[in-house]
Amino acid sequence: MTVLEQLNSGTMYLICGGIVAFVAVVCAVFMVRAWRAGKALGMDPARMKRAVTASATFSVLPSVGILLGVIALSGSLGIPWPWLRLSVIGALHYETQVAQAAAEQLGLKLSGESMTADGFATIALLMSVCIMWGMILMTVFGRRYLARLSRGSAVKPAGVKGGFADAAMTAMFVGMVSAYLGSYIGDFVSGAGRFRFAGSWTPLAVAAVSALAMAGFTWLTEKKHMEWLEGFSVAGSMLLGMLTAVIIGG
Amino acid sequence: MAEQPKHPLSPYDEYLRATHRLGRMASVVTLILLIGAPFVMGGVLGAAPNLSAAAKGFLAVGLVWTVSSVAEFLIYTPMLGAGGSYLAFITGNLINMKIPCAMNAREMVGAKSGTAENEIISTLSIATSSLVTIVVLALGVLLLTPLTPVLQSAALRPAFDQVVPALFGALAWRYYRKDVRLALIPLAVMSALFILLPSLTSSTSMMIIPSGALAIGLSYLSYRKERAA
Repeated sequence: MTVLEQLNSGTMYLICGGIVAFVAVVCAVFMVRAWRAGKALGMDPARMKRAVTASATFSVLPSVGILLGVIALSGSLGIPWPWLRLSVIGALHYETQVAQAAAEQLGLKLSGESMTADGFATIALLMSVCIMWGMILMTVFGRRYLARLSRGSAVKPAGVKGGFADAAMTAMFVGMVSAYLGSYIGDFVSGAGRFRFAGSWTPLAVAAVSALAMAGFTWLTEKKHMEWLEGFSVAGSMLLGMLTAVIIGG
Repeated sequence: MAEQPKHPLSPYDEYLRATHRLGRMASVVTLILLIGAPFVMGGVLGAAPNLSAAAKGFLAVGLVWTVSSVAEFLIYTPMLGAGGSYLAFITGNLINMKIPCAMNAREMVGAKSGTAENEIISTLSIATSSLVTIVVLALGVLLLTPLTPVLQSAALRPAFDQVVPALFGALAWRYYRKDVRLALIPLAVMSALFILLPSLTSSTSMMIIPSGALAIGLSYLSYRKERAA
């Protein structure tokens, strides 16, 4: 039995499914409490119902986009773990990038073929650790932060977003993307000997198709007002890029 | 220990207090489950996480996401209120789904930030959105399971080997188009480094730090120039 087959075993589904079920119960409890509190406050149940209905319909299409992310990661990490990660806490762009960084530290490639049991456990741990800070900050500081804001003594959130902080966040991601794209260019130019242009060009082709697909999604969303496509843009672009690898044979 | 209120709390204040208590408990349990799962799953496989490699990986990419998490906490918590924030940080997919979903619901009912109505609507919206995602993914996984042999077939292997380039191609469009000049310099510098030192490709994630620092430095220069103008 390969590691990937073990990662798709019933036990793994049980572990991950149990955590997903716990989070579903938490959501249901919060929902019922909020509904009751809204009624106690005298809010119109029809308006609350409209908020619930709008949120449900709004979420269906992006959820299908997230499901495509599960498919994208299933080839290297099995189905249950990406299912858990993308149902709870995660986001596709984050999961893939952190999984790749962990694989790199272990000298592995992020693929089902080279996945080892130790490798998976390490990758899964790093994926959990790197994105837990929002939850920790909310647990430790959430109450005080919201109390300060309601007293009007805290920095306005708009100030946080509008200054250099917003530009710095974008720059940080530009730096991250540049490091990876630079490595694909370097691998193609010097991967099989310095300046021999004989390295693998598949990652470059895949990245280029993915970027073009993303440009197409952006155009449709912004110019043709097909906002519903936005939830599919990253996962859809990735799948088109990955299809390129199948066509050119990896 | 929590300070005892001098006056009896209003039902709404009592609701908020209980929400924080419940939210903290749910977050702590979720954290334990998420951190524990890799150890349990590793145990099933007869393996354990390599903590040294995980620590190195954290230094390479974790710091970027830590900064991002702090910014998300500062920016989104006031928009979502207590209940919405706890749920959003537990269930994830903030920028691509939870925030626009809550904003949409808030606009539909005309709730204002910081009000009790906003607190209730945000919580209802994010709880609904999270439950929809959980149901859609569970149904999708049920349908996917019979397709596992196809997904693991040799024909599709090249696709799954290229998940990371596919991701960074898509993200390149998303972030580069915001400021092409800012993007070109780090890309040129990184490409030159990887061309001259091809062995660096085995530790690309470590190169995020200098690349990110360069991009942030350039962005700061541009920001100062714009402010001075």
